[in-house]
Amino acid sequence: MEMLYKALKRAIWLYASFRERLSPGWITKNSSRIKEWELMAYAYSKSPIGVVGGAIVFIMFILAVIGPFIAWEPYWEYKIVTLGEEYRYRAPCLPPGCSGEPILGTDEWGRDLLAMSLYGIRISFVISIVVVLLGAPLGIILGLLAGYKGGVVDEVIMRVTDVFLAFPGLVLAIAFASVLPQRIRGFLESNSIARAFFAALFGLRETEYGQIAALLSIWFAMVLVWWPGYTRVVRGSVLSVREMPFIEAAKLAGLSTWRILIKHILPNVISPVIVMMTFDIATATLFAAALSFLGLGPQEPVPELGFLISKAGQFFPERSAHVVLYLGALLLIMALGWNLLGDALRDILDPRTRRAIEYRLEKEKKR
Amino acid sequence: MGMGSFLARRVLTFIPTLIGVLLITYLIAYAIPADPVRAWVGEKLMNPQTLEQIKIKYKFNAPWYEQFSFLVHQLLTGELEDPVRHRNVFTEITSRFGVTVEVAIIGFIFLVAIGMPLGLLAAIFKDTPLDFAVRIMALVGSSLPSFVLYYFLILLLFVYTRTTYLAGIPEPTLACRTYVSSLPEFIPVLGHVASALGNVPMFAAMMCGELSVVGETFKRLYLPGLALGLLNGGFIARIVRNSLLDAFSAEFILYGKARGLRRISLWKHAFKNALVPLITVLGLNLGGLLSGAIIAETVFNIPGIGRYMYEAIMRLNFPVIIACTFLVAIVYVTINLVVDILYAVVDPRIRY
Repeated sequence: MEMLYKALKRAIWLYASFRERLSPGWITKNSSRIKEWELMAYAYSKSPIGVVGGAIVFIMFILAVIGPFIAWEPYWEYKIVTLGEEYRYRAPCLPPGCSGEPILGTDEWGRDLLAMSLYGIRISFVISIVVVLLGAPLGIILGLLAGYKGGVVDEVIMRVTDVFLAFPGLVLAIAFASVLPQRIRGFLESNSIARAFFAALFGLRETEYGQIAALLSIWFAMVLVWWPGYTRVVRGSVLSVREMPFIEAAKLAGLSTWRILIKHILPNVISPVIVMMTFDIATATLFAAALSFLGLGPQEPVPELGFLISKAGQFFPERSAHVVLYLGALLLIMALGWNLLGDALRDILDPRTRRAIEYRLEKEKKR
Repeated sequence: MGMGSFLARRVLTFIPTLIGVLLITYLIAYAIPADPVRAWVGEKLMNPQTLEQIKIKYKFNAPWYEQFSFLVHQLLTGELEDPVRHRNVFTEITSRFGVTVEVAIIGFIFLVAIGMPLGLLAAIFKDTPLDFAVRIMALVGSSLPSFVLYYFLILLLFVYTRTTYLAGIPEPTLACRTYVSSLPEFIPVLGHVASALGNVPMFAAMMCGELSVVGETFKRLYLPGLALGLLNGGFIARIVRNSLLDAFSAEFILYGKARGLRRISLWKHAFKNALVPLITVLGLNLGGLLSGAIIAETVFNIPGIGRYMYEAIMRLNFPVIIACTFLVAIVYVTINLVVDILYAVVDPRIRY
């Protein structure tokens, strides 16, 4: 734990000296900010839940980056074992008994489940992160505008938000995901750069642009339903912040609206949003899996986790219990990592926790 | 501002929301590049004449705003027809929504029965292994893919022990249904309410005293209810715990202690103050359940509104999609309103 704190502290100072190089005097100007960051790093290294969550997220990130490169079986080669047409699944097999056999068994097409899940992690990871990284800023910007401007702007933005909140998210996402693929397919067909980019991003082959279009449509559908929650939360906090004297001062100093919003209001409302984003990445992981479980995502041969589980569900439990169990546990761990991290961040980003830590550290120093 | 004018203002804001919901649903449907008529008719019955007839019937050749106003008009007059099943959409929706209401009620019972006691215990035994276990349960519940939990509950409670079954929905007898639908003739106003409630098979059976049907319904639907309760129960427990502890650290509790109140009545005061966040979360959960748990309905083979909507979307059947989303949106905004009213009931400081 001590080591983690030191490493985080070093990272903070590395960033600070980088900023100092860009604009001299940055460290002196922002010394209180750096101190807050150090306290956050200390609080994080003291939180077992946060450390475990961070470790899971880090491991999943590494697996997502290198997964498709180290997967020892290409996902497009079916190895259906002919034990009669029905017995396509192979049960798990532990090393002492059977060497060379897939340890976790195979999926419906006889492919090694462990290798397939490496592709699956990349897809789930990319979708969940990008959905939140695109959906949240959209919601935040709308929330800032609605809260700060008030009046007609507020009314219009909040009515649209209400409309989106009145839908169950899953239904809206299903509707979007069912109409989007054909359009995206056409776009990918004509644009070879986009095709290569998204194929590399998802770790798939370029020739499967139909499947990539299906993945992108899940992705767009989720971004479209993801922003309203943020708009509502941000607007609520902006309403209280904008009455503060320092905003008055910023206005009198003649700053532009955007500068006030980004520089002075956003930092004061961002903490709960960061916590919410962390939790939402977990939700998005499960949400994307649920959409492809319902058959809206890519089809074979793409080893998307939710899709593989829905296929295994048809033969559950006689032949495919291992697939549901293992892939379900994998999704659980991926989501759990983000949830644990979010649970810890909620404490760390709370200024009251930091003041308590500061107080305790001061007391220890005096002793 | 009185309660009446608050209600009136809130109900007025429903109107733009509902119009917006209809418009968005329609625009999504309109954006479909494929020909929905082909999907409705199916390959077998496809011939140019039928296609043309349907196209004229649903005004496919007219501009989009005419199509839209035609759909909305049919929706509001209750004449909308399901082009795939050739039945009135509302007859279909009523029977399916009845089933969804059953699932929602049973799920809600499990949710409260699991979440409240656990939250209470976690608050009493704060910072003990029990508290930590509830925290972990909440985290795992929100990280578990719901369909995986459903499969393993099926394995445990259906495949191995056969304590439930996964086909059909228990219905009251025909005599009972006729009785319930004839209620408005005997009782002037309440009769209509009763017969509307009678669309939920379980309620109709209760009204005729067919308790075995109610029991069967529980036997059929307790599994999805249990699953929903397990998934969200931990989260509810956390809310109960945190708001109880917040309330407990308030000054009125200190005052109560100083006055020498007994422990039990201190808890009673704390609980009443902890209700506001709890009502919000429970209301949201109930709204989610009533709008159809699509995945649960798919895995457990329940013919509810969520499945109906899902099937409609997959067949580009947008008259049905529009009717369903309209219903769901109404349910959702109504529950939000009820939650707002409940705030004022439990917390006398809140006035409208």
